[in-house]
Amino acid sequence: MEKTLMAFAAALAIGLTALATAWVQSKVGSAGAGALAEKPELSATIIILVAIPETMVILGFVVAAMILFGGG
Amino acid sequence: MIVKMSKVEIAGPRELLEKVLCLLQETGLLQIEPDTKGFIEKKDAVYIDSFLPDKGAMTERFFLEDLRARTDELFSYLPKIPIKKSYIDPRPIIDTINETLQQHLLACREMIQKKDAYRKELAELDRYNIFLDSVESLLEGLRKTPDMDFIGLTLRDTEAAALLNEFLNKQAAGRFELRTSTASDGSIAGLIAIEKEISDKIKSTLSDKDIPEFKFPFAFEGLTFFQKIELLRKRISEVISEIEAVDMQLESFAMKWGPIYSRVREWTDERLSVLNTVGSVFETRMCFLIYGWMVYENVEKLRGRLTHDYEGKVVLDEMEILEEDLDRMPVILKNPAYFKPFELFTKMLPLPRYTSYDPTPFISIFFPVFFGMILGDAGYGLILLVLSFFMLKKFKKRKFLPDASKILLICSIYTLFFGIIYGEFIGDLGHRLFSLKPLLIERRTSIIPMLYFAVSVGMAHILLGTFLGFATAFRRKTKKEALSRFLNLLIIIFILLLVASLFGLFPSLLTRPLILAILFLTPCLLFTGGLLAPLELLRSMGNIISYARIMAIGLVSVLLAFVANCLAGMTGDIITGIVVAALLHLLNIIIGVFSPAIHSLRLHYVEFFSKFIEPGGKKFEPFRKEGKI
Repeated sequence: MEKTLMAFAAALAIGLTALATAWVQSKVGSAGAGALAEKPELSATIIILVAIPETMVILGFVVAAMILFGGG
Repeated sequence: MIVKMSKVEIAGPRELLEKVLCLLQETGLLQIEPDTKGFIEKKDAVYIDSFLPDKGAMTERFFLEDLRARTDELFSYLPKIPIKKSYIDPRPIIDTINETLQQHLLACREMIQKKDAYRKELAELDRYNIFLDSVESLLEGLRKTPDMDFIGLTLRDTEAAALLNEFLNKQAAGRFELRTSTASDGSIAGLIAIEKEISDKIKSTLSDKDIPEFKFPFAFEGLTFFQKIELLRKRISEVISEIEAVDMQLESFAMKWGPIYSRVREWTDERLSVLNTVGSVFETRMCFLIYGWMVYENVEKLRGRLTHDYEGKVVLDEMEILEEDLDRMPVILKNPAYFKPFELFTKMLPLPRYTSYDPTPFISIFFPVFFGMILGDAGYGLILLVLSFFMLKKFKKRKFLPDASKILLICSIYTLFFGIIYGEFIGDLGHRLFSLKPLLIERRTSIIPMLYFAVSVGMAHILLGTFLGFATAFRRKTKKEALSRFLNLLIIIFILLLVASLFGLFPSLLTRPLILAILFLTPCLLFTGGLLAPLELLRSMGNIISYARIMAIGLVSVLLAFVANCLAGMTGDIITGIVVAALLHLLNIIIGVFSPAIHSLRLHYVEFFSKFIEPGGKKFEPFRKEGKI
């Protein structure tokens, strides 16, 4: 039972953060593509803006890894 | 690296100004500063004024601007064909060129007007051409005796054709023939062959019924239907020949005169540039003064040239760089051959300020390391190495590809290196075939150690970035900001030591002093960096954890390679297995090139550079001839 709960918690940690990241990236990405069509020189800024929300899923992944493999 | 710049002043007798400006333009070493701020001391300002050009210079300028406009007009008439380069000096013959240009301009204008008139006529004739193309096929097999007449029509649709046929049957049963065909523009062309004695009556009835006859040009009035068609075809071919003749004339003109006028345009631009720069020059009663910026290394070279050419009458002085100059000093980046390809990445960022750092050397060192850490497979490294050599050879003359290939080459070497450390050769194929063992760590199973490793790398990277941020602020002499960044750096180090001591990696005896130190330094941070300073601290911690992606993406890559090998084994057939494995590994390599590249870039752009790079630098734009670099 405890193992199941741990697996469920890890899945939630990575799943929810992945969904959140995907949602934000879809918003930033579509706006960024529009901006790039107008000003191609903004490419670095757009890459940065699209990449920023990824931190969420990385944090989720770290938490999930800690839950499953016991960081301590 | 950001090249060291010098602030200079060039002074000489007024009569030598034009020659000095020409020399500066030829050497292309100095960026002339039109603003005297920071160059002229307050006590000297009363003796110095902006240089006022004399009447001769103004007349020359107007003449050259007019010449430039007329040369542009001439080139707008000429076809865009590759022309030879001319090396004539237009200055001694400029009056002759001016007169010839006037005549050539008139001749070309006339040719273009003629061509435009022919084009207009052709466009009109083309309308008839569409009708003729469809009607010509209808004429085959028709009786063309003198007692027959032909009526051309444009019909709306097939239904209209049926109604017309019905109408003609009523009016002239058995004495006509109606043929229709669809034209290239979608309309329906109709042809009525009818006996001459009733054709006039039918024409007038058709006109009454709003079915107009196809109208030929007015000049064709009185000709028979066939004569009209023949004449129309002849005229179209004549007009096309005339347009071709004009084009050929223009082309031969461009071949003959294009190089000369191109050189004249180039020379005019150079002269205009010199005359316009006079506006950025200053004068005293006897002398001219030019202020500007140049690369420190070139100061002696330019000084020597000025002394030699003007026998010591023109002098170049290096001025002291003031604190207020730092923000407007132009920036030029120069990197050694190894770092040069990585400018491809830094060009996407705004130019750093003079007091900041060039991001290129940092990205050149760390980007391939992160790439190698993520992909880390000796087999993939070898494949990418071969690919990069191939790209280097194949795309030598392309704009960005040679640089991209060089970056890939360096990254593939690091991939190979980390592949050996992780003991990976096309996933676990190396282990299966040659019993390859990891030198340090096996990524697939050591998830938590790899996580610590990735975060430790991030920690070192962020600490370096924060330290460089402190150094930048220190160099800019912004004491408060420098202190805030230093405190930030200290607190990050203490927090990391605290975490290490809590995990038992550091003596627990230090836990309490570390907590006390953090508690003491945080209010100091608030005083020096403002209310947002603690947030910056939190951001730094987040930035460090963000480096966990090195391990996460690397794990995905190694697992995909493992799955590819397992699936290949499960097929049970050697050929199918090889195909499955090759396809999956190909996919993994493609992902393995893009994903590590994007994430390594992101780690630099977002996490690392935000700590110390100060954007807002001004590009060094020396006064030089157009096209000279």
